[in-house]
Amino acid sequence: MRCSEAGRQLQLYIDDRLSLQEVTALEAHLTGCIDCQEELFLLEEAVGYVRTFRMVAEPEDLTERIMQRVAITQQRRMPDFSLLRPTFAELLVVVLLATITTLGVILAQPSVRAVLPFANGHDAVSLFFLNSLHQLLSYGVSAVILALWVIGALLGVFITLVLVGEDVRSEWFKAMMDRLPVR
Amino acid sequence: MQTPHSLGIPLTSAISSSAEQDDALLVAASKRGDQEAFALLVQRYQRRVFNLVFGMLQQYEEASEITQEAFLAAWQGLPAFRGEARFSTWLHRIAYNCALKQLEQRRRDKALQAAMEAERLVGGGGERHADAIIESHARQALVHEQLSQLPAKYRIVLILRHLQEMTYEEMAEILTMPIGTIKTHLFRARNLLKERLEAIDREITARTRGY
Repeated sequence: MRCSEAGRQLQLYIDDRLSLQEVTALEAHLTGCIDCQEELFLLEEAVGYVRTFRMVAEPEDLTERIMQRVAITQQRRMPDFSLLRPTFAELLVVVLLATITTLGVILAQPSVRAVLPFANGHDAVSLFFLNSLHQLLSYGVSAVILALWVIGALLGVFITLVLVGEDVRSEWFKAMMDRLPVR
Repeated sequence: MQTPHSLGIPLTSAISSSAEQDDALLVAASKRGDQEAFALLVQRYQRRVFNLVFGMLQQYEEASEITQEAFLAAWQGLPAFRGEARFSTWLHRIAYNCALKQLEQRRRDKALQAAMEAERLVGGGGERHADAIIESHARQALVHEQLSQLPAKYRIVLILRHLQEMTYEEMAEILTMPIGTIKTHLFRARNLLKERLEAIDREITARTRGY
């Protein structure tokens, strides 16, 4: 064993983290190496001094001061997911909105559209949708795309709002109203 | 202002083993908002938490304030405590984070102060100060002084390892660091203390030779 190697082993030795084999090897090295013996001695001395550090007494009124603050502080309640259970009507609305969103996504992707038995451009629904889309696109491509993005985002917001339930919905609505610059 | 004074008992004997058993009951009651139960937990752990924080901050009043904040944070966060770790580990981790935040705040304040007092010269005299210490203090006191001057990250591992007698694994959990880092910090800290002792020895040898 080299001294550089022994240095790290000594640290583990102090913490009782060496295997019996490692201890034997280290002790064999120590018997022949004055430098490492000295190093171990100093390390143990340092640790001994750290151990002579004694616990400091906390201020006598610490508990009282903590409890005074505790008394006026609310615990953070964990979100109660049972409150998020949507009613049947809310669920229906969510399913409807989600269906519309998904249909929109499907119809906007020609490759997806092609493999589906419906909405492939030949049935009434997709023909109506595609016709309206072309009609809209003729007014200006970027404006229509922007409008579709906005609609998609709104659908997402509506789905979330329906799902979270009445309490959160009214809270959100109030917060939105508070933030409006003009009332 | 209160000053720190030693109680003369090692940290590990501060808590009886039977006391740990009904931690779970007190924690459950505290989670339901029972302040009396929480007060018992405060009494049980405030000394260890205070010493952890004091060990990092080295200022008595500041440590008192941060200990209060740590317990308050624990009270607020209790409903989220699901018992994956032991309550004491969880509490120590909160205290450690509060103390870290305070050290960060202190660093920022110091930088501000340094910028404001940039023109004021800081006097030297470090050598003379060290001389005076060697003359007036014992070897042990020098190590204690060195300990209080160590960076907090080194001091804290020494305190947890040798005063609270925690394992590498427990320290890793509280300090949220990999065990490898814990070892690096601990070994470095002990080496720094060892180097200090070596320096003292060299100085004493030089002195006795009449240099």
